[in-house]
Amino acid sequence: MRFTMKPMRIAILKLLSEQVWSSKIKNSSTLWLIGIFNILLLFALFSGFRNLNQQQETIEHYSHEVRERWENRPDKHPHRMAHYGYVAFRSRFPLSFFDFGMDSYVGNAVFLEAHKQNTVNFSEASLSNGLLRFGEISAGMILQLLLPLLIFFWGFDLVAREREQGTLRILLTQGISWSELILGKSLGLFALALSIFTPSVIIGFALLFFNEFTSENSQSYLRFIMLIISYLAYFFILSVLAILVSAKANSSKASLTTLIGFWLFFTLMLPKTSQVVGQNIFPSPSKIEFDTTVEQELIKQGDSHNPNDPHFKALKDSLLTAYAVDSTHKLPFNYSGYVMREGEKLSAETYKKHQVALVEKYQKQQNVVRFTAFLNPYMAIKNLSMALSGTDYLAYHDFQNQAEDFRYKLAQTMNELQMKYISNKTKTSADKKAIISKKNWADFPDFHHQSLGFSEVLKNEILSIISLIIWTLGLIFLVKYFIKTLKPF
Amino acid sequence: MKALLIKNFLRSKGLMTGLLIVFVAGLISLNIGKHFLDKNKEIIEKTAHYQQESIARNIEFHPKEIGLLLYYLRFGLVNEMPNLAGLAIGQRDINPSLQSVTIRNLEEQKYATDLMNPMYQMLGNMDFSFVLIYFFPLIIIALCFNLISEEKEEGTWSLVLSQSQNPLKMLIIKILIRFISVLLVIVLLFVIAKFYLDIPFNEAFLAFILNSVLYISFWFALAWLVASFHKNSSQNALILLLSWVALTIVIPAGINAVTVNLYPVPEAFSTVLESRDGYHNKWDEPKEPTVAKFHEHYPQFDQYKHPEGKDYSWLWYYAMQQMGDDEAANDARSFKEKLKKRNTFSSTAGIFFPSIHAQLNLNLLSSSDMDNYLHFLEKLENFHEQKRLYFYPKIFTEATVSSENWKRFGLESYQEKPSIDWIKMLFPVLIMSALCVIWANFKFRKV
Repeated sequence: MRFTMKPMRIAILKLLSEQVWSSKIKNSSTLWLIGIFNILLLFALFSGFRNLNQQQETIEHYSHEVRERWENRPDKHPHRMAHYGYVAFRSRFPLSFFDFGMDSYVGNAVFLEAHKQNTVNFSEASLSNGLLRFGEISAGMILQLLLPLLIFFWGFDLVAREREQGTLRILLTQGISWSELILGKSLGLFALALSIFTPSVIIGFALLFFNEFTSENSQSYLRFIMLIISYLAYFFILSVLAILVSAKANSSKASLTTLIGFWLFFTLMLPKTSQVVGQNIFPSPSKIEFDTTVEQELIKQGDSHNPNDPHFKALKDSLLTAYAVDSTHKLPFNYSGYVMREGEKLSAETYKKHQVALVEKYQKQQNVVRFTAFLNPYMAIKNLSMALSGTDYLAYHDFQNQAEDFRYKLAQTMNELQMKYISNKTKTSADKKAIISKKNWADFPDFHHQSLGFSEVLKNEILSIISLIIWTLGLIFLVKYFIKTLKPF
Repeated sequence: MKALLIKNFLRSKGLMTGLLIVFVAGLISLNIGKHFLDKNKEIIEKTAHYQQESIARNIEFHPKEIGLLLYYLRFGLVNEMPNLAGLAIGQRDINPSLQSVTIRNLEEQKYATDLMNPMYQMLGNMDFSFVLIYFFPLIIIALCFNLISEEKEEGTWSLVLSQSQNPLKMLIIKILIRFISVLLVIVLLFVIAKFYLDIPFNEAFLAFILNSVLYISFWFALAWLVASFHKNSSQNALILLLSWVALTIVIPAGINAVTVNLYPVPEAFSTVLESRDGYHNKWDEPKEPTVAKFHEHYPQFDQYKHPEGKDYSWLWYYAMQQMGDDEAANDARSFKEKLKKRNTFSSTAGIFFPSIHAQLNLNLLSSSDMDNYLHFLEKLENFHEQKRLYFYPKIFTEATVSSENWKRFGLESYQEKPSIDWIKMLFPVLIMSALCVIWANFKFRKV
């Protein structure tokens, strides 16, 4: 077999792409569009940044307040402190101003107390009226959703019109190969996309740099670089696709309709329908079902507030034997504290088991949407972009876990304080002897929401990364294959 | 000429496919709506069952003290979902349509969210209102962007000008054919929806249909206006597409961003803190002031006293719980005020943009808007209060658990009757469509 592909000439590619650039840029409507998009991006970046700072300040303010109120509680029984509990707030990742992702749909505050796992409440969506359903204006949204439309609009006639005007044949007879033509034009289109992307990257970097919270998260810069690379790949894929469709279509009008059809299908139809499919294949329980199942299991484990509960009797008997005493009063530690520690352990385990099952179900549902990334580069960039911006489900789930771990530690620390300091002879928590110093509250560390590590984020998004790589490489094969079917007139 | 134009239209494969695509998208959306309604029904049925089961189980485990039993018992209030909500799901997939509460402090319970996969909330539902607001305009654009320009570009325009005395009449017939065909699709979808989703034909449904038809008419008026500029096909397409992007994506998102920035809601967090301290701190404080404050709130319970010298009584316990609500009341009120402000701002701003106006109207008619949720929260407060008032005397007199007929505590429900302000609902779109048509006619006459 003879290998027909000639190596591509850089000079030709440069010439072709420059031709695309200069023919578009001399058009005033192009300049207008570039201007409008840059203003939109600027608005999105600054309002996102402002909102992030506002949120972050509110969260800092209330976190301090929670800590202060915690430390200022008077001397008291530790179990009362376990019920007083804590409130944890979800802090934002410094890059979240770039792509809002799911941020507005997940809760922000959770009340942490002994024996009970509360929901994370007050998502932005629950505080909003129907407008949020139109989507949010973030740099991520503009770059993922609107810029492709613009690329298609600039690119639909780049080959088709040359064919209609008969100049295509001239180009090809002058020794320019099809692959040079397609790549050259794609690069020109890509350069146009960069005229919109580049300013937002520079401003994004500046905003990241001037954000005081970035210093705590130096991985933000690494994530931002990765974000830029992913978007570049995405725009390149779209540019080549636009040119391919333009080269294949019968007329420039057909090319435009095909591209807009693609855009609609991939950005609006497919994501929404795949989510419905996912929900129907893997139905997840409602809150009431979930709570009832957990409650059913818990009620069997007995009431740990009641040291005489029959379910804890076996435990009592084994303790009495182990310490060779005839009554729990003679145990060297507070018995009811011990029972509550065991009860907390059991109930937390039960809850965790069901929570893990629920999250697995969610991930299965999400995977249906995720896998469409192999068909749909939009889904790949959407998932990757929000993961890198720290606004995806993984980031939220990680917060939930950290909050639950903190809740558990708080409850158990209080139970242990009770075991250590409270005498077995005290009858109720109101007893004067059942009170320990408030110094113990200050000794308990504050809640700090840590962001996920870079490698964990990448690992979770491996599907999206592979999809973008496959698309980029796959297009080269697609071009090779398509060339054989293309006509110069 | 009319017959010829109709024939031409029916023969055009592209246009027919376009209509077929929105029709199919409409059918899919009806199916999604049906699923949503069914799932909601299922949740309510299950909850009704679970509530009975849970009450019975708790009575079995806590048969002695009614005060302790009521610490655990939960009573559910349903925010009834009309079947019309299958067409416009609105905020119903974010705010729970059912809330179960104990008689303890309400502030810690009323904002509890349902379990939801946030990815789905982010991607959103493809309900009928989405198909109407996003897809129909695109089809209208595809049908109308080359109304005149196609004749010009194919060279038939000069023929029309020379042969017909009134070329405008031909254009009107052309656009009317398109308008009627889109109208037929939408009417067909409504007929199917009526039977498939079992929607009662009432005022709300009628208003829903009118809003939808007006929204469609607005896009035809806009296309008519653009046609009157006599530009070429690709310029027309660009103008219309930009309008679409602006009206359905950029402007609504922009208004939302402005709303969020103008009205941040820190009250959400302060309510949580106030209610927590309001209740929990009372454990460490002398009992008398707490009980006194409780008596101040409910003078009718004056005769019940905390037994002197006792460490604990249910009166004191529920008085502490009550303080959780009472001390957070100010923050809770300003929280609600803030939400109302947000709502008013965005719906006022939305009046000028048919897409937003249509979406908010459809949500309102389907009881799936923010107002409905706020009303439901108010109802929930009443519901909770009634339960308290009913049980407090029983707890304070230590009535026996068995003296109560627990079976009668089933789910209760709240049904919103949307108030329809016809003028506010229909006028803005009518005016805007009329302006487009008048301007277009002025342009046409000038040429």
